Amino acid sequence: MNKYEVVYIIDPAVEDEARKELIAKFNDLITGNGGSVDKVEEWGKRRLAYAIDYKTEGYYVLVNFQAEAELPKELERNLQISDSVIRYQVIKQIERKVGIKPRAVRPAPVAPAAEAAEAPAEAPAETPAE
Amino acid sequence: MSEDRGEKRPRPRGKRPRRKVCDFCVSKIEYIDYKDVNRLRRSINERGKILPRRMTGNCAKHQRQLSEAIKRARAIALLPYTVE
Repeated sequence: MNKYEVVYIIDPAVEDEARKELIAKFNDLITGNGGSVDKVEEWGKRRLAYAIDYKTEGYYVLVNFQAEAELPKELERNLQISDSVIRYQVIKQIERKVGIKPRAVRPAPVAPAAEAAEAPAEAPAETPAE
Repeated sequence: MSEDRGEKRPRPRGKRPRRKVCDFCVSKIEYIDYKDVNRLRRSINERGKILPRRMTGNCAKHQRQLSEAIKRARAIALLPYTVE
């Protein structure tokens, strides 16, 4: 199982009920193929940064889900077919690497030494400027 | 040698350029999210281009993440590709 995240933009002209059905359809597709939906976040109507098919607004939906590696392909195919979806993007979420030791913190004396070396070099340089 | 040339390399004008530090390292960000439009907006110029490292002082690791995030945000129309 991998973690994925999909954002899709639904045509704002689609009515509320049809939109709900559409979102439910995609969620069912995930759960029906052995995946699980973790979170559905509807951002609502947003202005697009650029026009897509002469549309300046879109209804954004974000879904976090877990599924096998084959599912995103199938989901993308369905998103592509649907005429009301104007843009989509599926992303695999990175998993935090575990079992890696954090890099050792450098010993403290390095910092004061560097400052001491820098300070005298700066002082004479400033005097002629005045 | 003449004594008035004693000090080494006087800067002609202004102070020495300050070493820039990576904003993302300072705020301890592990993953730059493409959905965080407000943060990404600060890293593009008024034409929508990604700012180079020499201007922002980002570290290589975060610059790579940042460019990926900006490109993802552009793909779903959260950020523009170009601004005229």
